[in-house]
Amino acid sequence: MKRTFIPVLMLLAGITQAQAEAPYREYDPMENYLPHVRGDMQLSGSYKYWKDPKNLDWRMAGNPEENWKLNWKFMDPPFNASVHGGHFAADRGESIFQELNKTGRFAACLGAKKGNLKGLRTRYPMVRADLNHVAGLEEVIERCAAKEGRVLQNGSYDNSAVSVYVASQSTGSPININVTSPGPLKAAFERGRKLFHTRVGRSNLACSSCHTHQIGLHLRGTVVTTPYGDAAHFPVYRTRYQLQSLHLRFAECNLATRTQPLLPGSRPYTDIEVFLTGLSNGYPVSVPSERD
Amino acid sequence: MRIGTIFLGLTAFIAHSLLAHSAWSNELPSDFAVNPSAVNMTLEPKVVVNSGRLEWIPFQRDLTVWPSLSYEDKRPTPKARKVTLEGPLNGDPVRGRELALSRDKGYCVICHELPGEAWPGTVGALLLKFKKHNYPSELVFQQIFDSRVFNPNSYMPPYGTFGILNEQEIRDLVAYLQSLD
Repeated sequence: MKRTFIPVLMLLAGITQAQAEAPYREYDPMENYLPHVRGDMQLSGSYKYWKDPKNLDWRMAGNPEENWKLNWKFMDPPFNASVHGGHFAADRGESIFQELNKTGRFAACLGAKKGNLKGLRTRYPMVRADLNHVAGLEEVIERCAAKEGRVLQNGSYDNSAVSVYVASQSTGSPININVTSPGPLKAAFERGRKLFHTRVGRSNLACSSCHTHQIGLHLRGTVVTTPYGDAAHFPVYRTRYQLQSLHLRFAECNLATRTQPLLPGSRPYTDIEVFLTGLSNGYPVSVPSERD
Repeated sequence: MRIGTIFLGLTAFIAHSLLAHSAWSNELPSDFAVNPSAVNMTLEPKVVVNSGRLEWIPFQRDLTVWPSLSYEDKRPTPKARKVTLEGPLNGDPVRGRELALSRDKGYCVICHELPGEAWPGTVGALLLKFKKHNYPSELVFQQIFDSRVFNPNSYMPPYGTFGILNEQEIRDLVAYLQSLD
């Protein structure tokens, strides 16, 4: 009986021995991902049902056994024409944006050309010379707002509201980040891919344990969906969280699988954002959107 | 035997509490969402409408003791452990079922179908009529304790190695599964 407790004690002892170099980690089998949304045809094959956001099969959307095949795109515009909290967020974001952008500096800081926000969201995450790293839109909004003297913490409602407003100006335009040419963005994509397959937390699970290998299967009442095309509708209106940025979604995923969550804007979360955005290349920005 | 189990369990719990916190005394990763002065350090984000600040509220349990996605987290993932089931099984199938359904313990039903439960998971193997397979209890015990011994790519959480369930709880689960006919 004692012997079976030894592993538990050894685990606890192991925790105290912080190693200087890369620690031992387990990885799910690493897959080849096409950094374009059509890569899903080699993974779950559900892309054919949701590739045209305007013309989804409404019968499939209403069938709980089949709606996972639409990758929840029936809650995105233009198929979802209802008014929801995401629209209120866009209004709030627009008024904050106008306040901050009186001189035009704020839009320029975000990377808008001649103050035009159209297409800006499709180029995020991007390499920011001023930050000296790859950054997501919300991290840049926080930084640019601070320059104008306003606190918009990454993950806060107002930060995400500005992000929703900026993204809504690109709704319908396909995401287009280059993660194949050598450079910081490609490196972030590769790190994100590795993190996506790294097993962590109390249950020793990686993102990919479910979202690559169990797509279409049930976890109680939830059906696992593909990681392709999933970054296009963030920040998203959620009934539980009011407004949720992609990094806060990662924190929710971490907590649900009993893994210590990280701060929004942290390097690992940004790398996973780059990875998932790469898998959304070619899919239109779909904001404001909602999810359960 | 049972007193010994409780004593060892208590020792492990105390060691767990002490080590978990001392391990991070000076080196808590800077990107952890935590309150270092709290007993349960882990925090959960709370979005406040029409505010530029993100609030954080205490999470129900401390998750800092297990490896995370942080690049600053240098603790190794515990490797697969082979264990032996000693003595008679001595498990309580009623308690085993409770553990199988408990969200914070086994929560087997999230992946596996169990009798009498609506909305079962379909990721794991069917556990209905488990008894008919005639699996030896030693094998079932190892599978729950750490299934990576049989399959390094197994998605089943290593309940024993990661300290999610103690030995008696795994015995109870084995007794429950072996009772399903």
